[in-house]
Amino acid sequence: MPDIDPSLEKLIFNLNTLSELGTEITSANDFKRIVKSSLFMVMGSFSASKGVLYTYDSERLLFSPIASKGLTEPAGGLRLSATAMKGLAEHSRPIDLHSGESAVSLLGQASERLIRLGLKVVGFLVVRDELLGMIVISGNVGGEKYSNYDLQLLSVMAQNIAFSLQSHSLLKRLMQKYNENKELYENLRRIYYDTIHAFAAAIDAKDAYTKGHSHRVATYSAVVAKEMGWSDERIEGIRIAGLLHDIGKIAVDKTIINKPSGLNGHESVEINSHPIVGYEILSKIKFPWKGIPFMTRNHHEKIDGTGYPDRLAGDDIPQGARIVTLVDAFDAMTTDRPYRRRLSFVDAMSELKAHTSTQFDSDVVYSFVSVLKKEATGRAKSSTILPLLDEKLDTEKVSVFLKELF
Amino acid sequence: MIDILNGCREVGDTVVLYPQNYINGIEGEKLEQVCETFIEKGIRKVVIDFSETDIVNSIGVSILIGIIEKIKEAEGVVLFSSLSKINIEVFRIVGLTKLIPSFATEADAIKEMSGAGTQIGG
Repeated sequence: MPDIDPSLEKLIFNLNTLSELGTEITSANDFKRIVKSSLFMVMGSFSASKGVLYTYDSERLLFSPIASKGLTEPAGGLRLSATAMKGLAEHSRPIDLHSGESAVSLLGQASERLIRLGLKVVGFLVVRDELLGMIVISGNVGGEKYSNYDLQLLSVMAQNIAFSLQSHSLLKRLMQKYNENKELYENLRRIYYDTIHAFAAAIDAKDAYTKGHSHRVATYSAVVAKEMGWSDERIEGIRIAGLLHDIGKIAVDKTIINKPSGLNGHESVEINSHPIVGYEILSKIKFPWKGIPFMTRNHHEKIDGTGYPDRLAGDDIPQGARIVTLVDAFDAMTTDRPYRRRLSFVDAMSELKAHTSTQFDSDVVYSFVSVLKKEATGRAKSSTILPLLDEKLDTEKVSVFLKELF
Repeated sequence: MIDILNGCREVGDTVVLYPQNYINGIEGEKLEQVCETFIEKGIRKVVIDFSETDIVNSIGVSILIGIIEKIKEAEGVVLFSSLSKINIEVFRIVGLTKLIPSFATEADAIKEMSGAGTQIGG
């Protein structure tokens, strides 16, 4: 290897290239672009007409080309044994493939393949004894031999590129972990929802007449909350509260829930305890959404303070509970119960109107009616409430009726 | 916006390429493709004029080498023209001055081409 001192001009040119390489590998550019630019910079610095940049996959023991230039055939992957890899990782100095150095024999058949591609010098990309890849270039187009200075320069450039590969690899692993965790989170979320839905089904199963009640209350609550401008996260919370609002009924005797006639004092006390029982169950659960236990506890309060269990009035009742109260009553009225037939939509709406500001919050009623009007006139993106009603409705008549009533 | 196709012109049987400054980025590789297109059309005489190029960097050198290799494979001739002092120095450092003759002006290079053979001379 000739030991020639480089000229000052060459030193300046190489220093400038190193500076550009540093700027490129720390840039926010696309990784492929960084890799390609780095390869071009190395090739330009050594006047090489051919070059390949390989990354090394330690699990597959495989070098894969990520950038190449000037080759007349595809670079292809290079497989090497784990022992060879370990030996190469210790070899930070660039090697001439035509030399008899031990690293060349470690490359084995890969070395022959690289020579066949017209390549001559290998710079290993190593960070903290970890082999990350290699950059391989042909000889100088002018036929000049590379000097020791050239090989030192290649070594420095290879180190810079190695750090870039390492950063990219770390980022890739981080993204992989993130995606794995995201998938895990999605699975947990699905299981969570499935469990809540199973609970809702169990609650509704206690009452032969209230099949689907919890689901409808959840759906209606969500659509009203959206109409009132709630955030997506809060809407998700009220949807869950809707599904679980009657969970306290699990502790109530089934015969009381399904009793066709009026309840006696003891039975009334028991059924009226379900909001508190529900609250006690749900307040022990750490939900990702706020307010679910109180939306359950206070869904039988009345706006005038005559409801139960806390006899709260007006704004003291959480807004979520006021929404659940209204849609719970609406669904109760529009579905058959053991003690009575369902009311017609018109009668149910008249009841809501009659009890606005005494039993129901007027803002909630307004939003509920607004949703119904949009659904009846086709202005809603999709109908949610009207299709779930047992009664077949003429939307045009509903629209006229609502306009007259509210 | 890089307009590589407008960065060249045909003068008789010679094509003149104007690499401007985009040769210093990987986009410059497109100039190699433009050169290939001319070779496919049968053109074998290429002048690369650097009157609009500031300083050629290492990426630019690698792209120029790519162009030179393509012309060499097609047994064509390539000449440089309008090199600034700094670019003459860069080309001397990387050994291109030994490979490709350079001329003061584009016209001089084209004139040389009219009597040129088909070998790259140093």
